[in-house]
Amino acid sequence: MMSSQSCVTIQKEWDIVAARQLGREIAKKIGVGTVDQARIATAVSEIARNIYLYAKNGQVCFDVIDTIDQKGILIIAEDSGPGIEDISQVMEDGYSTSGGLGAGLPGVKRLMDEFDIKSEVDKGTVIKTIKWVRK
Amino acid sequence: MDTLEFDRTNYKELLKKYIETKDEQSLYGAEQISKSFIKNNILPEEIVNLHIQAMIELYPGKSKEIYSSMNFLLETMISYGLAHQEYQSLREKQLELQSEISVAASMQNTLLATSVPKVDDLDIGVISVPAHQMNGDYHHLVTGKDGTIGIAVADVIGKGIPAALCMSMIKYSLESFSEQSANPKLILENLNRVVERNVETGMFITMFYAQYNPSTSILHYASAGHEPGYYFNAEKNNFEEINAKGLVLGVSSDTKYEQYELTLNKGDMVVLLTDGVTECRNNGKFIESEEVIEVIKNYAHLPAQEAVNQVYKYFERLQEFQLKDDFTLIMMKKNV
Amino acid sequence: MNLEINVTEHPDIILVQLSGEIDAYTAPQLKDKLIPLTNRKGVRIEVDLENVNYMDSTGLGVFISALKSSKENGSKITLFNLKDRVQRLFKITGLHQLIDINLDERGVNN
Repeated sequence: MMSSQSCVTIQKEWDIVAARQLGREIAKKIGVGTVDQARIATAVSEIARNIYLYAKNGQVCFDVIDTIDQKGILIIAEDSGPGIEDISQVMEDGYSTSGGLGAGLPGVKRLMDEFDIKSEVDKGTVIKTIKWVRK
Repeated sequence: MDTLEFDRTNYKELLKKYIETKDEQSLYGAEQISKSFIKNNILPEEIVNLHIQAMIELYPGKSKEIYSSMNFLLETMISYGLAHQEYQSLREKQLELQSEISVAASMQNTLLATSVPKVDDLDIGVISVPAHQMNGDYHHLVTGKDGTIGIAVADVIGKGIPAALCMSMIKYSLESFSEQSANPKLILENLNRVVERNVETGMFITMFYAQYNPSTSILHYASAGHEPGYYFNAEKNNFEEINAKGLVLGVSSDTKYEQYELTLNKGDMVVLLTDGVTECRNNGKFIESEEVIEVIKNYAHLPAQEAVNQVYKYFERLQEFQLKDDFTLIMMKKNV
Repeated sequence: MNLEINVTEHPDIILVQLSGEIDAYTAPQLKDKLIPLTNRKGVRIEVDLENVNYMDSTGLGVFISALKSSKENGSKITLFNLKDRVQRLFKITGLHQLIDINLDERGVNN
């Protein structure tokens, strides 16, 4: 059901671009439309930039989900950074945008169809998010 | 066809017409469509995409550069789309909060409701208006078993919800004090201990507590750092500040208060207020207490309730109908 | 209206010059600057209010907090150069008896 993962390690700002590009290519390949391709790229940017800015080291991986019912792209971002103490707070609208930090995680959730986050202080953060191909 | 599909088709046709004729009517049509897009939550990137699709269908095989540029534009619109969605969700949240606050405000009104006691020789008028939905000013009038009238006016530091929460504490504390302790000095001393124990550092309350004894016509009073009220002496035909010393409530647990008294004669008047009245600002300029007295004088001949209403209206207009602070005014006129 | 907070450190004395209005909006800023200073044992903080034209009860609240903190931490805080309106506020609330207010003199001459 799942194809093998492809990953981009995020250490420098340029890695964000590489992750965007890989995400867009995979999305295009499975038949995601132009607008959603742009949304996926923006979501990848946001997640990758969080790793670059706060965790310093981590990776963004992509997978294709292909079942009888639906097809989609799964993005898994994993880092071993400081973690997030209050996830509810960072998921609140206006929390990161008011500081001018960009769309933030609520933005990622909006750009994608499914979104899940796990985080532990001093251990790191894992974000899993899916965009389905629109029929 | 749903409205959305209708708009899409319409967009393409209007675009074609505009490119061919450059007429204002199509642009007016564009304005209508844009409103419909907003109403249906169509994000900017989708509109750009719609535009690209329309162009491809209308003019196939046109310059590749134009289409690439459109894709570029689409990409730059994504964040605007997010900002728009966030704005909408925040607006919904704001409406939610507003309705929550108005429920709280009406609870507060019920909780703090006080009625003006009927006293033969005293005409009492009261007005209290919050700057926002919830009132940080407190006033309470009560008739004691011995026939005395207790009058409290208080102002909590700050305004809005935190101040309003504090009000409930004052109300219940005042009610719990037994009748025997009901003299202004002791009431303030007891209340101060309660407040000091229950508020965080830096928070405080000012209160003026008065007690009128109809059988002696004497007003006993004490102040916990409250804005001084005014006494109109009918015989001398002048206003004076009612000065009473005393520290605000909540700062020091063992504060003692001094009690003063004033004998009211026919035609005398006592005005109690909060700093929302005296801190009125007109074009950035503060009004002085002489001006406050002037305004009160102008309406003093009216029945007390009408007079306080008129004074409030005057200051409301002076502040261009935007109260900066909660406003409370009590007027007591001795008729007999 | 804004509040400008200028902190100058002299040996043993910290001069805090305020300029603008102290109200519900600017009071948190003042609190954030002032309270940490009062945590330093043995230090004398002099607050110049010459250019403060307006202060409301939330401003008084900040000075009460600062006073309590200075008492707990063994520092000292003095206010000086108060405008009439501001001085009246301290007087009415009875706080002039708790807080050290220097009515005529300037504490530190720059």
